[in-house]
Amino acid sequence: MKPLLETRKLTRFFGGLAAVNEVDLQVAESEILGLIGPNGAGKSTFFNLVSGFHPVTRGTIAFQGRDITGMKAHEVANLGIGRAFQAATLFMQLSVFDNVFNGFHRHYREPVWKAFLHSASVRREEQRARQKVKEIIDFMGLTDYADRKAQNLPHGHQKILGVCIAMATQPKLLLLDEPFTGMHPEETAVMMKVVGKIRDSGVTVVIVEHNMDAVMRLCDRIAVLNQGRKIAEGPPGEIARNPEVIEAYLGSDEEEP
Amino acid sequence: MNRGNPKKVLIILGCVCLLLAFLPVFTDSRYFMHLVIMTCVNIMLGLSFSMLFSTGLITMGAAGFWGIGAYTSALLVLKAGLSFWIALPLAALMTALVAFVVGIVIVRAPGVAFIIQTMVVNMILVQVFGHFEFFGGWAGLLDIPAPNPIGPITFTSKTANYYLILVLLLVNILGFYALYTSRVGRAWSAIRLNARLAETLSVDIFRYRLAAFMISAAGAGLAGSFYAHYFQTLEPNMFNVFKSIYVQIYSILGGLNFYILGPVIGAAIITFVPELLRVGKEIEPIMTGTVLIFLVIFLPGGILSLPERIGFFRNGPMASSPEKVPVETEKKEGAP
Ligand SMILES: Nc1ncnc2c1ncn2[C@@H]1O[C@H](COP(=O)(O)OP(=O)(O)OP(=O)(O)O)[C@@H](O)[C@H]1O
Ligand SMILES: [Mg+2]
Repeated sequence: MKPLLETRKLTRFFGGLAAVNEVDLQVAESEILGLIGPNGAGKSTFFNLVSGFHPVTRGTIAFQGRDITGMKAHEVANLGIGRAFQAATLFMQLSVFDNVFNGFHRHYREPVWKAFLHSASVRREEQRARQKVKEIIDFMGLTDYADRKAQNLPHGHQKILGVCIAMATQPKLLLLDEPFTGMHPEETAVMMKVVGKIRDSGVTVVIVEHNMDAVMRLCDRIAVLNQGRKIAEGPPGEIARNPEVIEAYLGSDEEEP
Repeated sequence: MNRGNPKKVLIILGCVCLLLAFLPVFTDSRYFMHLVIMTCVNIMLGLSFSMLFSTGLITMGAAGFWGIGAYTSALLVLKAGLSFWIALPLAALMTALVAFVVGIVIVRAPGVAFIIQTMVVNMILVQVFGHFEFFGGWAGLLDIPAPNPIGPITFTSKTANYYLILVLLLVNILGFYALYTSRVGRAWSAIRLNARLAETLSVDIFRYRLAAFMISAAGAGLAGSFYAHYFQTLEPNMFNVFKSIYVQIYSILGGLNFYILGPVIGAAIITFVPELLRVGKEIEPIMTGTVLIFLVIFLPGGILSLPERIGFFRNGPMASSPEKVPVETEKKEGAP
């Protein structure tokens, strides 16, 4: 079967530094792929390339067999690649509900000239959107927080909201950058359940994460980056025993955050 | 922005307009009516500024686009002999067109760059108006005719002009309200609140901002066309950056988070209060500037944020959090 996402020799330089270096990676439909590696390995940069936030220096990215190299962020998003950021990136001043509603932009059909008429079709569309937003919020377990402002949420829930907004775009591929970082064990458990449910709903997920326990339990497959290069790829058990991976983690003098 | 209830808004707006429609009955002061008319013009300029602000852009060029509308309309009537009623929409169209061309170049640069670029555009426009004989030079354009009569209605009196600008303002407000409550307005404020996130939600920032730039310019152009035929004299310096700063003050004083009511309140106060206090024309800017500085320090949300602020003081800090007015900061993905 054709991979959902495929990068070939994907490379990104920052000045002289190759943050991502000739990375070949394939993501199959409806799997959870873990992308791990020490600090500064290039994981976030890889996401930025795939989602169109940084221009690619060399190499190609294909999504559903279509070359998306060089596309802008909003175009990539429109093709069905959603993402949640490493640091909670939300509409802090808005309620949880409105945050998710904004995520629905891509699927909200409403001609401008009709907005003021408040006609039946506009009302129906809005009702449909609200219903859908509510469903997503329930699905992600944020029902009790729907009316709270995003900035007043606890950290863990902010991270869940970030995923929730991305889910509202109804992506085919979801990129999660360190969804478990800074979470209590209970929050981690909630997030694990959420990601599992997302996968069960048919969405393909790529997770960047330092929490090895979570990665090992969630992911079908793991790819390891070190200094911009992919050094290993395989099922979790294999990766955990891979001497090169262990070396990369021990060799880096940085602590896990 | 919540859709609110358009029916309710329409009813309230209708009532206010009905009240305002009777205003000329209660006064026969031509001076007072002039101030009211200028307030309406200024509100339209403030609305134009606020629309760009709703997308996270701060313009220092509102007066320049006002000028494009005014000059286009005046020239179409004076040189091409068109009726005001045709020149009016053409002026708005022309202003939007110029905004399109300028916007393609400058809308991509957010933040301070945009502020400076709009300011420079404004300065260039004033130079163009003044330099070329075609635009009447620095002496300006004189004897611009009042709007053509419609049947028995002539537009030479203050009262008639008042009704005209009231209608234009109403159309302006209704149109902008419709936009703010639609998908477009929601995308605009998504960009303002978090541009990076908006992009991942497939909002095309450039296109949405360009649209806001054009629509807001069209609004200012409409006000300009009216102004040209109301005031009947145009001079390049009426449209300078100084005026653009005043336009900003309208919106800031009223409240930046209130895209419609903010300019309404702010423009009314700035237009009326100095006149009522009989402040001299020379010291008025000093006064206004001082008020603005204190405002930004002590009431950054503007007058309309007062109710929330008072609630904040009365019920302690947990009751509500005063909304900060974020000017978008388009951070690049930070290093780890
Ligand atoms: N915008 C940028 N400009 C310059 N250098 C950058 C930029 N973004 C990342 N880098 C550099 O690229 C390298 C990879 O960074 P990246 O953020 O992708 O790492 P990461 O694997 O996500 O690390 P972490 O686990 O700490 O989040 C780092 O050396 C970083 O300093
Ligand atoms: Mg990272």
